[in-house]
Amino acid sequence: MKKTLSVILAALLALGCVLMFASCGGNTEETTAPADDTTAAEDTTAAQSDLAYILDKGTLVVGVTEYKPMDYLDENNEWTGFDAEYARAVAKELGVEVEFIEIEWDNKEFEVKSKKIDCVWNGMTITDALKESMDITDPYVKNAQVVVMPKDKAADYTTVESIKDLSFAVEVESAGKGVAEENGFNYTELTYQSDAILEVHTGKADACIIDLTMADALTAEGSTYENLTKVLSLNEEEYGIGCRKGSDLCTKINEITDKLIADGTLDALAQKYELTLVK
Amino acid sequence: MFWTVTESLLEGFMTTLELFCLTLLFAIPLGLIISFGSMSKIFPIKWLSKTVVWIIRGTPLMLQLIVVFYGPELIGSAIGELGIDNPLFNALAEMKGLERFPSVLVAFVINYACYFSEIYRGGIESIPKGQYEACQVLGMTKSQTFFKVVLLQVIKRIVPPMGNEIITLVKDTSLARTIAVYEIIWNAQKFIKNGGLLWPLIYAGAFYLIFNGLLTVIFSRIEKKMDYFKA
Amino acid sequence: MAILEVNELKKSFGKNEVLKGISLSLDEGQVLSIIGSSGSGKTTLLRCINFLETADSGTIYVDGDVIFDGNDMTKHKAKETREKQLKIGLVFQQFNLFPQYNVFDNVTLAVKLKAKERPDYKADKKQIIKEINENAVKILTDMGLYDKINSYPWQLSGGQQQRVAIARALALEPKILFFDEPTSALDPELTIEVLKVIKELRNMGRTMVVVTHEMEFARNVSDKVIFMADGIIEEAGTPSEVFDSPKSEKTRAFLAKSFE
Repeated sequence: MKKTLSVILAALLALGCVLMFASCGGNTEETTAPADDTTAAEDTTAAQSDLAYILDKGTLVVGVTEYKPMDYLDENNEWTGFDAEYARAVAKELGVEVEFIEIEWDNKEFEVKSKKIDCVWNGMTITDALKESMDITDPYVKNAQVVVMPKDKAADYTTVESIKDLSFAVEVESAGKGVAEENGFNYTELTYQSDAILEVHTGKADACIIDLTMADALTAEGSTYENLTKVLSLNEEEYGIGCRKGSDLCTKINEITDKLIADGTLDALAQKYELTLVK
Repeated sequence: MFWTVTESLLEGFMTTLELFCLTLLFAIPLGLIISFGSMSKIFPIKWLSKTVVWIIRGTPLMLQLIVVFYGPELIGSAIGELGIDNPLFNALAEMKGLERFPSVLVAFVINYACYFSEIYRGGIESIPKGQYEACQVLGMTKSQTFFKVVLLQVIKRIVPPMGNEIITLVKDTSLARTIAVYEIIWNAQKFIKNGGLLWPLIYAGAFYLIFNGLLTVIFSRIEKKMDYFKA
Repeated sequence: MAILEVNELKKSFGKNEVLKGISLSLDEGQVLSIIGSSGSGKTTLLRCINFLETADSGTIYVDGDVIFDGNDMTKHKAKETREKQLKIGLVFQQFNLFPQYNVFDNVTLAVKLKAKERPDYKADKKQIIKEINENAVKILTDMGLYDKINSYPWQLSGGQQQRVAIARALALEPKILFFDEPTSALDPELTIEVLKVIKELRNMGRTMVVVTHEMEFARNVSDKVIFMADGIIEEAGTPSEVFDSPKSEKTRAFLAKSFE
């Protein structure tokens, strides 16, 4: 009996390997060779461009997280916010449907590269590290990294010099972390900006460095963190949309954005969500 | 607010529960097959089983989730970049992974089947040789020996370690959020992200606690049920 | 004709030759005792006859049928081997009862599984099961275990467990019953009750082969005694021949030590 079972086992293990490494979709009619910049340039006949791939499937899959005021769910459980509306406007211009998928922020590079999503559109601060793994559109909204700490201590810390000995909480590999590193601060990295602010709230850290937009949303009157406040702004920076490396979607979004700026659509959105546009 | 949170957590907990039940459903029999593989006298099968168990037990489950979910496309695009134009390579370059939930399920089933297989193997190997010899001289077939004599003794021995492992599984389901499967912890963390509400996360802990309490009771019942014999 | 016949049986484990050509024969109704120090090969001999080990060469016949033939090592079907296996029974030193079954089920389990293979099983199921149950009750009563029928092995003394093991072997009605040091795991007072059972079986005309350390028992109960040393039969004969006038020096030394 052991022998028979062994044979079944071998078959199952083999199947497992196939499942892990071979095609599960098997959609041969849809040739979706990766549109890497080198292959796309050299081999334009066989390989389809990334934009063509998206137009072909008729849906722009946008990776988001809940991040007020850029992307969040309204009372009807629909995605809204500056980025969500902006993405819808771009999708409309492209003539495709838009689908929002809430992702784990740590895995955004994987999500894009593996085509689980087509772009990251979620108030993403442009950094050199991100440029390595994604093609990022022209910046569209201005942001800053701000220091947030308890209101009752805020009066003593108004200059960069005064805060240099505090302990900081930052989001892992975030723009805030970059700032902390530049200034030689003593910091701890956490998964989310929300975890960073929680550290301050619970007294594990003296202060955190997070996005201005996030800080405004979280320390508003009536929230758990109303005892916290932003004390100073450390660094001006900009948001961009992350696309696959070598994707022609990136240039297309830039084109459409220019058009949306020209016709005032983006200005209206910026006013609605109290943000400052780059252009 | 309490009801909104409860509703959201319940919704997440359903995903947790679904993952838990389906993992057990597939991992329990698959584990038995792998354990027979590890004990096989046919060397390649034994080697393959042991290697798989070694890899799966030797790497974090979170990493396995990422490999199962993103792996096929990432490997595919790497193959595509080689630019070799032949049917096999083209097919490999186009391979697609599973959806989010099925990916989590596959990773969990493989991971837990490997852990279970080691528990089974320990249980089966701890049965004295004399039991098999007694069956043989009484003219019983190998399958009669296994199902009528050995199995229940093995079950009695593996119930406590299986109980531990299954309770660990309940808690491990929270790793599903790594690839954005919206289970209970994901839903609880949303309240932190959006409004700085901390208590939903603690509240989510209560769901786990109650469910695990229930499992503990079930397992001690099973153990008691088999108290009538000593092996 | 002899009911058991072993010719030139040889068995090695690696380089260690444990049986160096054993020949013996036994008639129906006789009791054979095999004595010898540990490592003399007596247990291996028993295990070879009972299919728990495969000998390297030689032949074994039981009731005229070939059980083992060293010249024909083609693999036999499991079913054939089982048929042959059922001609003989074996009682272990460590009892090896099934812990999850009570006394009655321990005795009837294998018999009932075997009965399922009978062509008339489906038609006469009730009758067959009834006969098996009645037979089991009779055997257990003969063994003095009637009041233990519903007990589990852990609730029994070692002597009672060994008697259940004997009942379990008898239920399959073997032609020959083998015992592998049946009292070695028992205290002296429990040894007596098991030996008493074996004596009764002898009086009922059972053919038995007993590997034992109990010299008094071997002398009183056996028709034949074999003394084994270093994988050969050093001395064989009636109890009085072996015990009272041993020819071999080794036998004398062993007996002197045993009766010290």
